[in-house]
Amino acid sequence: MSWAENHLVIAPIVLPLFAGAVMLALGGERRRNINAILNIAVSLALIAISIMLLRDADAVPGGISNVYRLGDWPVPFAIVLVLDRLSAMMLLLTSVLAAAAAVFSLARWHRAGVNFHPLFQFLLMGLNGAFLTGDLFNLFVFFEVLLAASYGLVLYGSGSVRVMTGMQYIAVNLVASLLFLIGVSLIYGIAGTLNMADLASRIAAIPASDRALLEAGAGILGIAFLVKAGMWPLCFWLPGTYAAVPAPVGSIFAILTKVGVYVVLRLWLLLFGDGAGASAQFGGELLLAGGMATIVFGTIGTLASQDMSRLAAFSVLVSSGTVLAAVGLAQTGVTGGALFYLISSTLGLGAFFLLIELIERGREPGADVLAVTRELYGEEGEEDGAEETGIAIPATIALLGLSFIGCAVVIAGLPPLSGFIAKFAMLSAALQPGAAVPTQAWVFLVILILSGLAALIAMTRAGIRVFWVSEREAPRVRLIEMAPVAVLLLLCVLQTVQAGPVMRFMQATAQSLHAPHDYMRGVLEFSSARKPAGGT
Amino acid sequence: MVGQGMGVSPETLLIALIAIPFAGSFLAMLFRANARNAEAYLAGAVALAAFVLVVMAYPQVTGGSVIRFKAAWVQDIGLEFYLRMDGFAWVFAALITGIGFLVVLYARYYMSADDPVPRFFSFLLAFMGAMLGIVLSGNLIQLVFFWELTSLFSFLLIGYWHQTSQARDGARMALIVTSTGGLCLFAGVLVIGHIVGSYDLEQVFAAATKIRVHPLYVPALVLVVLGALTKSAQFPFHFWLPHAMAAPTPVSAYLHSATMVKAGVFLLVRLWPALGGTNEWLWIVASAGLITFMLGAFVALFQQDLKGLLAYSTISHLGLITLLIGLDTPLGIIAATFHIINHATFKASLFMAAGIIDHETGTRDIRRLNGLRRFMPITTTLAMVAAAAMAGVPLLNGFISKEMFFAETIELHDNSLVDQALPYIVTFASMFTVAYSLRFIRDVFFGVPTQPFPRTPHEPPFLMRFPAELLVLACLVVGIIPGITIGPLLQTALHAVLGDSIPHYSLAVWHGFTPEFLMSIVTILGGIGLYTILRTYLLTADGPPLLRHIKGQRIFERLLVTISWRFARWLESVLATRRLQPQLRLLVIAALIAGFMPFYLHGTYTQGALTFGPRQTAFDIGFGIVWAVGIASALAAAYQAKFHRLAALILVGVAGLVTCISFVWLSAPDLSLTQLVVESVTTVLLLLGLRWLPKRIQNFDAADAGFGIIRWHRIRDLMIAAAAGASLAALSYAVMTRPQPQNISGFFVENAYKQGGGTNIVNVILVDFRAFDTFGEITVLGIVALTVYGLLRRFRPAAESAQVPEQQRSRNEGNEDTTPQKDSGVKGALAIPALMVSMLFPVIGVVAIYFLLRGHDLPGGGFVAGITMAVAFILQYMAHGTEWVESHLRVLPIRWMGAGLLLAVGVGAAAWLFDMPFLTSSFSYAEVPWIGAVPLASAFIFDLGVFALVVGATVLMLIALAHQSVRGHRTQRGRAPNSEGA
Amino acid sequence: MEIVLALGIGVLAGSGVWLALRPRTFQVIIGLSLLAYAVNLFILAMGRLRTDAAPVLMAKGMGVPAEFADPLPQALVLTAIVISFATTALFLVVIIAARGLTGTDHVDGREPDV
Repeated sequence: MSWAENHLVIAPIVLPLFAGAVMLALGGERRRNINAILNIAVSLALIAISIMLLRDADAVPGGISNVYRLGDWPVPFAIVLVLDRLSAMMLLLTSVLAAAAAVFSLARWHRAGVNFHPLFQFLLMGLNGAFLTGDLFNLFVFFEVLLAASYGLVLYGSGSVRVMTGMQYIAVNLVASLLFLIGVSLIYGIAGTLNMADLASRIAAIPASDRALLEAGAGILGIAFLVKAGMWPLCFWLPGTYAAVPAPVGSIFAILTKVGVYVVLRLWLLLFGDGAGASAQFGGELLLAGGMATIVFGTIGTLASQDMSRLAAFSVLVSSGTVLAAVGLAQTGVTGGALFYLISSTLGLGAFFLLIELIERGREPGADVLAVTRELYGEEGEEDGAEETGIAIPATIALLGLSFIGCAVVIAGLPPLSGFIAKFAMLSAALQPGAAVPTQAWVFLVILILSGLAALIAMTRAGIRVFWVSEREAPRVRLIEMAPVAVLLLLCVLQTVQAGPVMRFMQATAQSLHAPHDYMRGVLEFSSARKPAGGT
Repeated sequence: MVGQGMGVSPETLLIALIAIPFAGSFLAMLFRANARNAEAYLAGAVALAAFVLVVMAYPQVTGGSVIRFKAAWVQDIGLEFYLRMDGFAWVFAALITGIGFLVVLYARYYMSADDPVPRFFSFLLAFMGAMLGIVLSGNLIQLVFFWELTSLFSFLLIGYWHQTSQARDGARMALIVTSTGGLCLFAGVLVIGHIVGSYDLEQVFAAATKIRVHPLYVPALVLVVLGALTKSAQFPFHFWLPHAMAAPTPVSAYLHSATMVKAGVFLLVRLWPALGGTNEWLWIVASAGLITFMLGAFVALFQQDLKGLLAYSTISHLGLITLLIGLDTPLGIIAATFHIINHATFKASLFMAAGIIDHETGTRDIRRLNGLRRFMPITTTLAMVAAAAMAGVPLLNGFISKEMFFAETIELHDNSLVDQALPYIVTFASMFTVAYSLRFIRDVFFGVPTQPFPRTPHEPPFLMRFPAELLVLACLVVGIIPGITIGPLLQTALHAVLGDSIPHYSLAVWHGFTPEFLMSIVTILGGIGLYTILRTYLLTADGPPLLRHIKGQRIFERLLVTISWRFARWLESVLATRRLQPQLRLLVIAALIAGFMPFYLHGTYTQGALTFGPRQTAFDIGFGIVWAVGIASALAAAYQAKFHRLAALILVGVAGLVTCISFVWLSAPDLSLTQLVVESVTTVLLLLGLRWLPKRIQNFDAADAGFGIIRWHRIRDLMIAAAAGASLAALSYAVMTRPQPQNISGFFVENAYKQGGGTNIVNVILVDFRAFDTFGEITVLGIVALTVYGLLRRFRPAAESAQVPEQQRSRNEGNEDTTPQKDSGVKGALAIPALMVSMLFPVIGVVAIYFLLRGHDLPGGGFVAGITMAVAFILQYMAHGTEWVESHLRVLPIRWMGAGLLLAVGVGAAAWLFDMPFLTSSFSYAEVPWIGAVPLASAFIFDLGVFALVVGATVLMLIALAHQSVRGHRTQRGRAPNSEGA
Repeated sequence: MEIVLALGIGVLAGSGVWLALRPRTFQVIIGLSLLAYAVNLFILAMGRLRTDAAPVLMAKGMGVPAEFADPLPQALVLTAIVISFATTALFLVVIIAARGLTGTDHVDGREPDV
């Protein structure tokens, strides 16, 4: 393959890193505007790149379009990046959200603290790395990168609320990281490898006396991921944290829980698929039950939450719970629907987090956080310039209302937007005709539909309170704030209209996920041995 | 064919029919807020165009023929976009578009100039589109899709005047009730899809018998029927409709009498061929219909609000239709279809009349309205005719369908008691229908005005009357010459539902003295009687007797609040916590379970899951002693950490030291070296941080240890901790005593020098084999440094901990200002060490460089070197105090970090020039012969980057932390430190 | 050796967990660093124990795996050490900030009301 094709796959990691490094080399906060431009440029470039990667991945039948051997060392000894449909899809999703959030932040938030843009770039690096890597320990490292960046962004702008929720967030994740290490090293100690594909190929052959140890490692590892994915009862850190962070951060955080979900999708199906011998389907019931519990809990939370940001945070839980449960059902069709759902709900939530800030703007909460920040950072020119600069857009309330309905419909999974199609895809696959329907599929159906209803009720309540009860004057909203929301929602519309091709892609992805052998072969046999080279 | 005769294929016609309203809705949104006429013209044009299209389509749907348009949508899940118009759908399409047009016309005059009309017309048109979508859907999922859309737009239209709380509550109730039903319908459709294997309407019909015998038939039926009943406001879900009357009257006329509420009965008729023909159908549907019919008629009579009366009468009539469908016979279906049409015509016109009255007099209260006949004779006539049709007076359309209804009730169905009593029941209930129709006319238009109206009424403009006039005319014509007017259309519609086997029915006005005619007469006379008896009572009564206190809406609100708010909040408080400790506890427990599960599943000992092999290495007493110390200090630290922080810190240091030693012991020199330097830096950081934490006086806190609950918590945590420790020990022992599997690290040993160019394998792994990890690792360090800097930048510590430490305070009396001399005291105290340290600085620097250079071959490397360098800076702080260093420091940490990262990236990217993957070390193809002891591997430059970043990051953190001390003193001068808090 | 190390790991982990579950921020941070030690040793242990076999090649040439301790876990531990160093520093700063903003060193930002 050509030079570009070959090296493009690592760009989503190196580009943000490079950008971040340049920002620092320029002196960090001193060049905020250059940083801003750089941030936007990179985010947009990443969209283009990930589209190209998506094309590549979708072109090859096996789904694995590139295995990038870092340092040119042979597989499975060193680290590899693996590009397949799933990772490409996640990359694209990330870059889209990132671009939206980055643009949005320019309106005011990137002035509320220091080094917003470098942190943002490093977060992207961590996310993309986690989606691309094919090596367990390297996955840990990228988890740490994205977590460290997320710590920075959670604490961004300081203020007692953020610091306290941030402390909780950090403490929980530190412990989770330790679990991650225990799990990985235990697996290495038993299976003797870190490469995911290699590991998958070894699992079936693990002697019975060691199997339990291996599975213990996998289980502990799983806990670490499920903390990130926000599975009940490991998710109590999430609502507070997500409700406290600035809007653009919340919007990009919509993808953060999906990292945990992604890893579950990737590893659980790879390691404990049908090829895993005695370990096949290990922990499947737990995944299913936990996912459903998460949906229920998140739903209760959405009903019980007074302010919109908590509502959004709990919707995040519902979203990841749904995917987890769907994966737990372990049917290709359902997984495909779940992937479709993952995209739509993440886009919707991303838009919602941005939107909330605009809606609440007239009504203080968002604003007084800013005030606090200003008191903290007051002195040098960090007041938000929303009033002086930028175009305030006409018919604001109407637009906000429309966008709100859009978000509500997507999140509640009602017609006419993608959420409905996603739910239908999952449910109709779970109830596939002919075969007898297992009980858990029925439970899944009931829970999913009820959660949709609850979301509708909660959203209606919130929307009526904000838009109808008080005849308030329109807040000043600027184009660069409204545009990202609109774009994200339009993408949901596009996903609905173009549901055909999108769903085809998702089903293809699901099929390759449920065929772990293709992945193993793809990775282990993709690469040629290290080229003979000079040297002593 | 007409369609093609005009150059339009029927398919395009269907598409246009769906597309036009939505397009119109979009356009309507773009107009100015007060553009009443423009909006009305647009909407009218759209509705009229749609109506014309429907009319044009008629020739293709007669005689059971069907127009189909299919387009691929989501093939992979068997979902296609399928528009399908048969005779039955055609009738509904005609109603939707035709009445839609009239309503738009009417609305133009009804809406006042200061209403923001774009919203109104836009939603109205969108609703029209959605409604057409329902009736034209060829597959059930698509039907559900549009079904929920109608709920949404109905919500938005009811809430149009959202300033009033009735509008808001009514809108919310309508939305929640109908979309709950919609979700039930969704579930039901999914079940049907599971049974049939397709959502295509025709295939569903084809599989009718299969469905009826399937074990899941009843659930499917119930779910679908729930959808229909909620939408058509049938008992017990009827209560939302009266509250929907908060909507502008055109909306009530259109959505809540003529079209949307008909969607439910439409669905029932539509699916009757597939789901009907069973006892479940008969009982569920018919009983719901019967109850609703009676209840609605009864309550309607006692309403004082014109629209309220009409709302309940709508409920009652829909009940009548549902009952007819429920009776589960072709004739019933015929009567139902016919009555659907009739009801749409007369009820729409009645609503319009009510709207006119409201518009002209400013009130809708029947008690206040009297003798309007004098002011608006034409409207009076219209209302009278329409009301008569509603009552089922001969020569009007209502009469004919009513007779069919009576005839059908006389038939026997399952010969149960109810079935036999049915004719009498409905006759009695119909008396109420007559009575309230009579009341509507008599109380409003006749008699003399008792009190002046808010406004002096007069006839509305012609165009506002015109729609009603047209509809009333329809009532008359259909009522007098049904055979030639409605007959063919009805035939077409029924052909689509019943196929070719349509039983004989006659639309004649006069069938002779049949029992049903007798029933009609009895009903009318009885109704008149009933009204004359109750007349006086009605004028005083508020709400119906008996049922007055049962308010469906209040029950609903209560339920909603209780379940979706109180209960939810309670559950959340039970299921969740916002405190940190429980979360960590849960996390540890979860990990323990996850770790134990496999052993439980595999049977701990049966398959030797947790057996331990022989020990691999000989026991060494020295190691034992070292660890005795380590264990002791760890335990002590755990015990001391609360009250004696310094002690705890030292103890932890000891534990760390023990770790270092065991690293050396277990042949990991790099680790121990790194651990050592990290250890020292961490300790310094903690020391710097310690002083900002509040003091803890033992006995003060020991008090709470007395509480039983707390003791219990301690014990529980102790058990958890013990379990965690034990399991980790067991795991590690189990693995250590197992033979090593065939693993990948052999490769590194073999190629570390051959291809990595270094003899220190670990370092080669770090900077070459797995350099990508190191990459991420240093990035983490950099990010954290940024975060620390950002957090502490303007942070001011808490008040009491801002005191200058005792040992300094004595000397700092007098100069509370923040000038460099302030630390002179410190200097004085540590003068000699300071001097030594300043001399040490270059020495340590050299050591650092040494570590950096030799790293590739011997223990050391960029990270260790960097930390060592940082230690040099720390020493400066210790000796000279913060401000001196900050004034002398010539390092810009953030830039160092940036440079370091760039260096690393650069090295990695250099490989691209040779079309090698990122981070390919150039050593292996650097042809230059080996010179000196320093390897020239590109990996070395990478290590240099690491070094730069580590120095930058560590120094940045140190400055940020140490700088607090300067701030601390500053805060003493006024300024409440905690004000950032709230 | 194994049994000693295993015990050591166990005790470090146990006291670490115990401290991490305590209500005072300082206890938590101390506990986390103890846990970090335990985990680092655990990782090393996963490569099995070897004495006097530091993975440093004596001869410049191809090494024989059997002669050396497993170098990979060591590399992993190094990465882990660096990362835990960073996160510890961060957590320290956070607890200071929390203390400054809320006025208490309780992990929930307010004294428990028993």
